[in-house]
Amino acid sequence: MLSTKKWASLFALLVVTSLILAACATPTPEVVEKVVTQVVKETVVQKETVKETVIVEGTPQVVEKEITKVVEVEKVVTPTPTAIPEGGFVTEVSFADAKILNPLLSTDSPSADIHELLFGKAVVKDPFTGALIPDLVEGWEVSEDGLTYTFTVRDGVYWSDGTQVTGKDFAFSFQALKSGQLDTPRISNVEYVEEINLIDDMTVEFVFSEVNCAALPDLELGWLPAHMYAPDFSDIMESDLNTEPTVVNGPFQFKEWVKDDHITLVRNPDYWRGAPHMEGFIYKIVPNATVGVQQLKTGEVDIYDGIEPKYLVEMELQEHLNIFKYFDDGYTFMGFQMGDPEDPQPRLNEDGSVNENHGVHPILSDQRVRLAITHATDRNAIISKVIFGQGAPLEADVLPTIKWAFNDALEPIEYDVEKAAALLEEAGWADQDGDGVRECHGCMYAEEGTPLKLGLITNAGNETRESIGLIVQDQLGELGFEIEFEPMEWNAFVTTLVGQTFDICIVGWTSMGVDPDDEGTFASQNDLPDAAFNFVSYYNPEVDALLKQAKTLPGCRVEDRGPLYKQVQEHIYAAQPYTFFYVPRAILVYNKRIGGMNPGSWEFRYNIHEWYVQ
Amino acid sequence: MTRYVIRRLLQAIPTFLGITILTFIIVYSAPGDPVLQQTFDPRISGSAREEFRHQLGMDQPLTVQYLTWLIGNGWQNDPEVLPRQGILRGDFGKSLIEKRSVLEMIGERVGATLLLTGTATLIGYLLGVPIGVFAAVQRGGAFDNFSRVLAVIFNAIPGFWLSLVIILLFAVKFREWNLPAIPSGGMYTLTASGERTLDLGDRLIHLLPPALVLATAPIATTSRLMRTQVLEVIRQDYIRTARAKGLTERAVNFTHALRNALIPLATILGPTITGLLNGAIITETIWSWPGMGRLFISANFQRDYPVIMAGFVIGAVGVIVGNLLSDVLYGFIDPRVRLE
Repeated sequence: MLSTKKWASLFALLVVTSLILAACATPTPEVVEKVVTQVVKETVVQKETVKETVIVEGTPQVVEKEITKVVEVEKVVTPTPTAIPEGGFVTEVSFADAKILNPLLSTDSPSADIHELLFGKAVVKDPFTGALIPDLVEGWEVSEDGLTYTFTVRDGVYWSDGTQVTGKDFAFSFQALKSGQLDTPRISNVEYVEEINLIDDMTVEFVFSEVNCAALPDLELGWLPAHMYAPDFSDIMESDLNTEPTVVNGPFQFKEWVKDDHITLVRNPDYWRGAPHMEGFIYKIVPNATVGVQQLKTGEVDIYDGIEPKYLVEMELQEHLNIFKYFDDGYTFMGFQMGDPEDPQPRLNEDGSVNENHGVHPILSDQRVRLAITHATDRNAIISKVIFGQGAPLEADVLPTIKWAFNDALEPIEYDVEKAAALLEEAGWADQDGDGVRECHGCMYAEEGTPLKLGLITNAGNETRESIGLIVQDQLGELGFEIEFEPMEWNAFVTTLVGQTFDICIVGWTSMGVDPDDEGTFASQNDLPDAAFNFVSYYNPEVDALLKQAKTLPGCRVEDRGPLYKQVQEHIYAAQPYTFFYVPRAILVYNKRIGGMNPGSWEFRYNIHEWYVQ
Repeated sequence: MTRYVIRRLLQAIPTFLGITILTFIIVYSAPGDPVLQQTFDPRISGSAREEFRHQLGMDQPLTVQYLTWLIGNGWQNDPEVLPRQGILRGDFGKSLIEKRSVLEMIGERVGATLLLTGTATLIGYLLGVPIGVFAAVQRGGAFDNFSRVLAVIFNAIPGFWLSLVIILLFAVKFREWNLPAIPSGGMYTLTASGERTLDLGDRLIHLLPPALVLATAPIATTSRLMRTQVLEVIRQDYIRTARAKGLTERAVNFTHALRNALIPLATILGPTITGLLNGAIITETIWSWPGMGRLFISANFQRDYPVIMAGFVIGAVGVIVGNLLSDVLYGFIDPRVRLE
């Protein structure tokens, strides 16, 4: 009897401790219920000396200390937890259907949602830290010059047709990309890969043409079963496996895909991490958010990732739903055109020299005007009113979640209309004719008398950005700007944006990943109208050099790269090519009937084989 | 007759080519760029983007792209560009997004669209014809006035608006009020284990709401047309003769008047069906009906040119063949019409 009682109290303490741990360890909000079914409880008071593991908040330190506690515990009379229930289906909702279930050919996120459950990758993101960790490989070694990565493929993983997963599949998939036979933008993943060598069946070597510290994320692509395709890659584009991937190695297998309606997956009993408890997974397409929210409420669907903040309260009122919030790897911003929108030009000539014909923007090329706009925009109000507080402010281009590169020393630029007005006066913009709009009186680039008139664009249909646009238009209007706000159809918007023919744009980056490399958006070689994404024409040779150095630093140690990125952020912060608004918080809602879910901010399906339906 | 059909078919060739040239120019010159859309990611370098564009053959002049689309690109001898046969040899190309044959994609969805438009046409005729006939028989009466107002309303209400109102009321609000609600979209209820419900009632409750929305326009058109035709026919001499023979009112109205009044219906059959296909594009999108309409809408947003062009070709062929069929049918039913 005594021993049973003791066991029970220890067990209960364990539960309490784990709750404390859960509370300290992760700043993530909702507690996931771990259920021990069939328990009859009775409350007893006990004194116990136990060892408790405490995680000191904010540090990775783990301390063990002995404490004496008086605890009121719920005694578990039947302590044996029943087995995890097997079977059942879970349904996730999406607005868009998948396009193609081949990880090398797909570029959209619904397709990735599905093929990531079917195909393993060499590396995946740690769901909680975002660091890249081995998946289908045991690990890798980097040569001293930093150019050669040697991967050892995990032993004991099999395709669903019984063939073993080997280095052949790994090498085949990336050689296929390199071959030029696949028409897919993923060819950029192998742009810096010079050779892919199959050393032996389980060892693959990647040789890069230059040191690239951002190379590993490029290998985060699912492998194809090499034995199902012609060795010269010629049949990949035509293959039926692109729509019916029958040979897979992930936790689930493909069962059915009715276009624009649903995709059904069933468990893979031979999954190398262990067969999933659930019988299957359904990906259901609904026409819009209203229908998705409603089906979540009625229990017709179980999971909805990326629900809009305006539905948050409605969701919180539902007792059968869990809510998990996490910071997205992206941010929303307002970009300022610093080249001549009348005559967009590449910043560099083909030989790398600076293009003399690259013009300036008559108003926005003056840093003081850009800073004034940031001062005049109430960014906190935007976060609290437009996205209902579901976002964190940001001052420069690196996300706070990338701790080693994030510069936390940058002071937030305050909402200060007077300061903004003073900056505009200083820059030579004053309203002397009293019409409410400032004109140029001794400004840097515009002709004398030019009104302070700018166009503002965003993509129509994105309610958040349209609301921000209206607020900005209003707040800048009070300061003496004349803002013409035009939400544009997505295609027209993208053409205008990348064509560099706009003044100010409101847009956002998403899925930026775990590396802070930002050459794509701020390096001068990417100031290329119609073709690349430094569409604000930001130009600072120092930043070019820093970005290049940080990306190609031998050894790629984060301690060395971090300070360089912090310097980049200082430059960006000072120049204000963007007004940084916020890092949005994504909201994942799921039914409490799904057990075993433990969502991380980088990934929530990673342990889908451990989920079960209660 | 045969000569007439052959002549019409020959005339259709320049019409068809003209349509394809015009739509090709319009589609390709609309703002937007499928390459940029698929590579909207700063980490993809400019050169990779240009290589991708070249693989798709989208870096070539518009005339070359049109010829490629029409007759294929074998004549170019560029190994890096994906081979195409051209629509004249039955190759509608591949979707830029799904990388699959456009015909295959359409084949998957054509059934759903035909079911929806077929049901809508049937409802349109089955309701429109009797409404028109009764309105004509009771000309000036209450039903006649009612049917005229109904026709105006049905013609004026945009299908997308009606769909949204119906979904909001009967699917969303009714469910909140715990009344029997209709499904808000789809073709069938998906069971918890991912099986399609095979129950006929379930299929009908999914099919009827969008079909009825689509049928509003044909009901209006058919009932107006029938009313006018019946009124016209009733004044004809042979009707008076029939009455003079002492036939019953029923026999006069239905055997003599209706049969002749039905003839013009054949002429609007073609345009009705193409009109329904147009309406289906929006209706399918709103009701998440997995048919061709949704395919073309999403292809439009993604600037998936081969799919958009296939949509136009189907539409063009539909209009040309539909009109031809109507004319031939007309001559076939009504011996007074001579096709020369």
